[in-house]
Amino acid sequence: MSNASLTEVSPHSVAEAARISEDWLAVILGLAIFVLGLATIVHVDLIGWVVNTSIWSNINQALGPASKSYASLGGVGALMATYVALTVVLSVGAAALGSDVKKFALAFTAVFWIAYASWIVGNYANFAAVTPADQQKFGVSWSLRLTNEGAYIFALLAGLAIANFLPRFAVAIKEAVRPELYIKVAIVILGGFFAVTAAGKLSFASSLLLRGVAAIIEAYLIYWSVVYFIARKWFGFSREWSAPLAAGISICGVSASIAIGGAIRARPIVPALVSSLVLVFAVVEVLILPFAAQTWLSHQPLVAGAWMGLAVKTDGAAVASGAITESLILAKNAAEGVHYQPGWILGTAATVKVFIDIFIGVWAFVLGYIWTNYINVTPAADKARLREIWERFPKFIVGFVITFAIGLYLALGAPADIAKTVPAAIGEANTFRVIFFILTFFSIGVLSNFKALWQEGFGKLAAVYAVSLFGFVIWVGLLISWIFFNGVTPPLAS
Amino acid sequence: MSNPYTQSDYRDELRAQHTEPLLPIEKKLIAWSLGIGLVLLVVLALVNHFYPPGT
Repeated sequence: MSNASLTEVSPHSVAEAARISEDWLAVILGLAIFVLGLATIVHVDLIGWVVNTSIWSNINQALGPASKSYASLGGVGALMATYVALTVVLSVGAAALGSDVKKFALAFTAVFWIAYASWIVGNYANFAAVTPADQQKFGVSWSLRLTNEGAYIFALLAGLAIANFLPRFAVAIKEAVRPELYIKVAIVILGGFFAVTAAGKLSFASSLLLRGVAAIIEAYLIYWSVVYFIARKWFGFSREWSAPLAAGISICGVSASIAIGGAIRARPIVPALVSSLVLVFAVVEVLILPFAAQTWLSHQPLVAGAWMGLAVKTDGAAVASGAITESLILAKNAAEGVHYQPGWILGTAATVKVFIDIFIGVWAFVLGYIWTNYINVTPAADKARLREIWERFPKFIVGFVITFAIGLYLALGAPADIAKTVPAAIGEANTFRVIFFILTFFSIGVLSNFKALWQEGFGKLAAVYAVSLFGFVIWVGLLISWIFFNGVTPPLAS
Repeated sequence: MSNPYTQSDYRDELRAQHTEPLLPIEKKLIAWSLGIGLVLLVVLALVNHFYPPGT
C-alpha cells in the first residue's frame, strides 16, 4: 500500500474560480442556520428536524429529531434529512468556492456517514455514560465515562485511521475534508449560544473579555517572539521559514502561518508545509490536554477552558478541545454534587481563541512592515499596507460577533415572552453546531498524517514544533490561564 | 484547487534552506515584543487582581 503524498490530502488553498472566500461562506452558512433556528420564537420550527444523538444502550433510542414537533420523522428520518440538507447546502457552498460539486457531494457523503457513525458509536453507554445512576439507567456495568462530547474523539480516531492506514481513501474524500470551513461555521453559531449563556451573568462575562486581551498579548508578543528565536537560533531556520513557523506554533496553525507567510512575502511552499504539520501536533494535544485538564484542573474549570484556547493552535482543535474539556469537567464535578452551568468552559476557550484570531491581520501587517522596509526591502508597490490588516482579518469572526450581538439582544432586550423562547431556539442551531464539530474532528484526523514526521528532512521542523509547543507554549499557557482564572468558577446551573 | 507541492518538493526545500545570522532588527523585534508583552501581562495581572471577574 503506497503512502499518500503529504500534499495529496492537505489544507485546501483558495480556488482560483472562487466567488467567495471560505470565511465569508462560513459566515453565510452559520448565520443562515442561526436565523432559521430563531424562527421558533414566532412559533415556526424550521430546523427542528436536525438529528440529535443521545447516549444509548439500545440503538433504537440513539437518534431523534432535535424538536418534538418533528417526532414523527423518527431518528433515522432525522438523520437522512440532516444528511440531505447538509449535502445540498454545502455542495452549493463548494460551488461558490470554485470546487467540483459532484466530487464534493460524493466525498461529503463518505465524510458525513463515517463521521456521524463514529459519533453514534462514541455515544454508546459503555463509552459515554458518566455517573453510576446513568450506568444503571442504561443497563451497563462499566463505562469509560467519556461523556456525550467524548464521542468527538471517536470521529477524530476514525479520521486518523483513514489518514494513516487508508491514504488512498483519504485522497479520494479530500474535497469534503475541510476542517477550517466546518469549525468556522460552528464558531459563528457558537456566538449566539454563548451570548445566551453570558446574558445571565453579564458582568462576569464582560470581565472574561479582559482576560481575552491577556491571551492576545501572550500569543503575539511572548509566544511568537520566543518561538521565532528558538527556530532561528537553536534550529538554524532561515527568516523566511521561522516567521510563518513561529506563527503556526504560537498563534493559529493554518491561518496565521499563511497570513504571516504572505506578509513577509515568503514563498507559498513555506506556510503550506507549516500548515500540514500543525494538525498533527494539534491532534496530539486534543487527545491529551482535555483529559489532563479533567484530572488536574477539574476544580479550576475556567483555567482549563482558557488553557485550551491558549495551548491548542488551530481553531478547530482548540474550540473542540474546549467542548470535550467542558463535558469532562462538568461530569466530574456533577459526580461530586457540583453542577456548573454549561457553556462557560467552552465559551472561554472559544473566546480566547477568537481574540487571538482577531489580531492575525495586525501582526501580519507589523511583520510585513518590518520585512518589506528593513529585512527584504521591496519596491514601494510591494510594501506592507494598512489595508492588509482587513484583508487578513479572519472574516468568520464577523459572523461570531453578529450572532453574539443578536443573541444578547434577544436574551436581554426583547420582551420577556420572547426572551424565554430564545434558549430553545438557539438549542436547535446548537445541534447543527455539534454536527459541524463532528465533521471538524473527523476532518482534522484525516489531514493528520503522522508518517510525515518521519519523512527525511522533516525531523528538524517537527523538533521545533515539539520543543516549542510541549516545552514552552503549553506550560506558559497554563501559567497565564492560572494567573487570570484561578479561583474563578462558572455560575451554578439553576 | 489541490496543493501543488509534493513530498519531494518539501524535502528539497527543507534541505535547501540555510542558516542566516540574526540581524539587529530581528534582535530588536524579539526583545521589544517580549519586553512589551511581559510588561503588559504584569499590568493586566494587576488589573485582574484588583478587579476580579464578576466585579
